[in-house]
Amino acid sequence: MENSILLQELKSKFEKSILSVDETADILTVTVAADSIKPIVAFLKNDQDFIYLTDLCGIHYPELEKELGVIYHLHNLVANKRIRLKAFVTKANPQIDSLVSLFSAANWMERETFDFYGIDFVGHPNLIRILNVEYMDYHPMRKEYPLEDATRSDKDDSFFGR
Amino acid sequence: MKTINSEHHLDLTQVDEKVYSTLNLGPTHPATHGIFQNVLTMNGETIVGAEQTIGYIHRAFEKIAERRPYYQITTLTDRLNYCSSPINNIGWHLAVEKLLGVETNKRVDYMRIIVMELARIADHLVCNSVIGVDSGALTGFVYVFEEREAIYEIYEELCGARLTTNLGRVGGFDRDFSPLAIQKIRTLMKRLPKILHEFENLLMRNRIFMDRTVNVGGISAERALNYGFSGPNLRATGIDYDVRVQEPYSSYNDFDFIVPVGENGDIYDRFCVRQTEMWESIKMINTALENLPEGKFCTEVPAFFLPPKEDVYSKMEPLISHFKMVMGEIDVPEKEIYSAVEAGNGELGFYLVADGGRTPYRLHFRRPGFIYYQAFPEIIEGASLSDAILTMSSMNVIAGELDA
Repeated sequence: MENSILLQELKSKFEKSILSVDETADILTVTVAADSIKPIVAFLKNDQDFIYLTDLCGIHYPELEKELGVIYHLHNLVANKRIRLKAFVTKANPQIDSLVSLFSAANWMERETFDFYGIDFVGHPNLIRILNVEYMDYHPMRKEYPLEDATRSDKDDSFFGR
Repeated sequence: MKTINSEHHLDLTQVDEKVYSTLNLGPTHPATHGIFQNVLTMNGETIVGAEQTIGYIHRAFEKIAERRPYYQITTLTDRLNYCSSPINNIGWHLAVEKLLGVETNKRVDYMRIIVMELARIADHLVCNSVIGVDSGALTGFVYVFEEREAIYEIYEELCGARLTTNLGRVGGFDRDFSPLAIQKIRTLMKRLPKILHEFENLLMRNRIFMDRTVNVGGISAERALNYGFSGPNLRATGIDYDVRVQEPYSSYNDFDFIVPVGENGDIYDRFCVRQTEMWESIKMINTALENLPEGKFCTEVPAFFLPPKEDVYSKMEPLISHFKMVMGEIDVPEKEIYSAVEAGNGELGFYLVADGGRTPYRLHFRRPGFIYYQAFPEIIEGASLSDAILTMSSMNVIAGELDA
């Protein structure tokens, strides 16, 4: 399966939703509008045989306008072709459609992404924390939470570019 | 209150409200081999529903990885699927090599295959023998655990550690296989077939074992794919997806091996798939040992591979580069990659976003156990409690990997 054919198909169907395409990465990477992620994944699954959801995870770029991202890895097992989809949402409105109705595998992956990045998967049957405790009141993988206590003065690593 | 006499039996179907009992299985329970909690709703002995709680040993690996230099993350991967840590270690090294664009030489690849297949055998031995234990056959477990011990002794000879191995380096190994290590591997490869035969004689055609496992805890191929199953659990349903074949890494394409598949996706098929994979692993290790290419045990790219210790102590440049590497000052391209290996229980993936700094910008582990364990309630619905225990052990869910 050629990238160009797949892209052509995608662009003809979802012209407005394809924001950018990166063919230089190891896997064909397509950034899509967050509000059309579900139809795009459904199209890839039903028409292009991407029947396997390999991975779904979050990412946080504090300097971007749309800070929070969700990254999907889909796999077409027959043609042995992977595709990576990215969708970005703002921190104020972190809503994106849930894929649980398409892939049962998305259930826990989305819960994990919600747990760590606070992304709200609309339509998820049970969007609660999965690895952290329920009463945690923040989303720890966001970049504003440093791993180490920032007030510590006994560990000056500035010489080493940290 | 109704009374029972010979003419008038109590008709249970007339009881209006079904009363279910709740059974709390776990978090720590001797039968669950790890810290999993399942709140089961039971109708007598039959399971009606299960609610899973995970995260009891969550250690924030992905967050920690965002502050560690690349080579220090190997120790985190040890603690994912700790039944086969070397596969995780090498999987991580392969991911970093993919990021850096490093080509390893054949000797490194073959050495890696030997180690990874040994780890696969150790992983499958644990899982399959525990299926035996949970179905009431302890003997096989005792037989094969001696061989697992022998594999751990080989790890010890290769890297000094047994369980959390931290084996190898980005670009290869820290040292060559010692003659003793090679001798230990050869001895084990001679002995293991006999033990495996013995183990299979105990269980494979055993009436009690087959009654407990055939058509129990099964899942269809379609549902398994939808649930993101991978590894032996997926292959037991009849789908021949194996990362070693689909996207060969570390020269797996030099080797001729069978990818066993099952048919029903039940416990027995999982057991048989793992059993066959062990035979294939033995073949691969033997081939790799016989054809072990000459060359260096590491790749000669000084930008990321630590220089030899004697040079560090006696020359200036190696000392500087050693220091810079240990402090994490290596040049990393700004890009993102997804790299996967076939771990003991499925596709272990590393999604790595590098921003050119000393640490990953984002690292996500695609942990196979985390993804397929969510199918557990669906699989055990309608099964009995003892079958549920057996199903869980046959799925090879490892708590360390589940909770990251």
